[in-house]
Amino acid sequence: MDTSIIIKAVLALGGAGLVLGALLAVASKIFHVEIDPKVELIREFLPGANCGACGYPGCDGLAEAIAKGEALSSACVAGGSEIAEQIAGIMGIDIKEEKVAKKALVCCGGGKNEVAHRYIYDGELDCRMAQQIGKGPSLCSYGCLGFGSCAAACPFGAIIMGEDGLPLIDWKKCCGCGVCVEICPRGIIALVSENEEVHVLCHSHDKGKTVRSICKKGCIGCKACEKVCEFDAIHVVDNLAVINHEKCTGCKNCVEKCPTNCITVLLESPHVHPKKQVVTKTVN
Amino acid sequence: MERLFLIFLAAFLINNILLIKFIGLCPFFGVSSRFETSIGMSMAVIFVMTLSSVACWGAWNFLLDPLGVGDFLYIPAFILIIASLVQFVEMVIRKVSPALFKAMGIYLPLITTNCAVLAAATESVKPGFWKLSLEYNYGLGEALVYTIGIAMGFSMVIIMFAAMRERIEIAPIPRSFKGLPIAFIAAGLSSLAFLGFKGLFGI
Repeated sequence: MDTSIIIKAVLALGGAGLVLGALLAVASKIFHVEIDPKVELIREFLPGANCGACGYPGCDGLAEAIAKGEALSSACVAGGSEIAEQIAGIMGIDIKEEKVAKKALVCCGGGKNEVAHRYIYDGELDCRMAQQIGKGPSLCSYGCLGFGSCAAACPFGAIIMGEDGLPLIDWKKCCGCGVCVEICPRGIIALVSENEEVHVLCHSHDKGKTVRSICKKGCIGCKACEKVCEFDAIHVVDNLAVINHEKCTGCKNCVEKCPTNCITVLLESPHVHPKKQVVTKTVN
Repeated sequence: MERLFLIFLAAFLINNILLIKFIGLCPFFGVSSRFETSIGMSMAVIFVMTLSSVACWGAWNFLLDPLGVGDFLYIPAFILIIASLVQFVEMVIRKVSPALFKAMGIYLPLITTNCAVLAAATESVKPGFWKLSLEYNYGLGEALVYTIGIAMGFSMVIIMFAAMRERIEIAPIPRSFKGLPIAFIAAGLSSLAFLGFKGLFGI
């Protein structure tokens, strides 16, 4: 066999590689563009999977946006809270101060003790799957199903399932990313501001009589809150009290008046625990 | 002239790289969900394919073929050339025209080692690569026309498909078919339609 062809091949490919490599090295010096060193630092911490969940074109795009201050340091959905903290460290921001604007709130008070089930659901413990079977096992077709899809989905480990079957959201950990809002098949999780004090913890559009028969804490649409409100801030729309937070002054008249206690002051809400010390075990 | 036109047509319609050859399917499905991104992708593909084919043609005719090592070395050599070329072009564009870099920057590294680019380079150097008849080599002009034909064919199909997918998105289709499944079906049907071009002008 002619061995010269091996030498030729090695020379051709090796030579081409050497020349091109040298060319690239020279070009990178000549065409060097100054970029923010933060971008590279941030880029190192990002997962690098280019999943696009943040809405930016790949991890490079997000790193650039964070460095410019256009995106939050917690914008990486896949990275979770650890990476968000590290990035916030690079940016010199305290992650908890960065976003006080919105937090997740579970707008339902119907836990295990309040709402009965009409059949025994024996499948995968996932709200979205349960919702497929006859619109869920819960008698209330609007309220929390209690299988904890939100807790499993929370990238920051801020949600745990409480003993009453309702999710508990740790507002110290919640970054308001909205993943739980998306995942909830019944759409009962809302992003609310911390300065919006009063909330209706019910999502049911059923008639008052029906609500009364299936849930102890549901809104029955009695309009007592509407009458007691001095600021025209709360209205019963389609059998459910809705608060206009621009008009609400937080006087808490409606909270006292509500016969089923479904209107709650935020910090006393059973589903938020910045005050209550709930055992913060991680959810798998 | 007529020959060049036929070469272009063969690459553009009859041997369409996406729908007939089924090469480069990842950008075809990955980037075709929105009209704008598909246009950005096609521009980048036209640019990179043309450049890399010319470079590979040069490498084949002046380095690989004279040394007699081309037949078994052309794939690693072409990958090396295409990858360094794209890197180089990316650096130049970044320095010279930041606006162009912003428009094309995301797509350039994505297609660095794309199979469609490699296939276009291979095919324009060794026509009939898919038929395994390697006797005849294209001249530079023919290779250029052939590559531009392939790149335009790629662009036409991906833009057309993106427009289709945007319409499918709002069409009432069964839930289990939403998203990629219906896109695969639509791609299959388009491919069948493109089979109709076979035999056009006797090529």
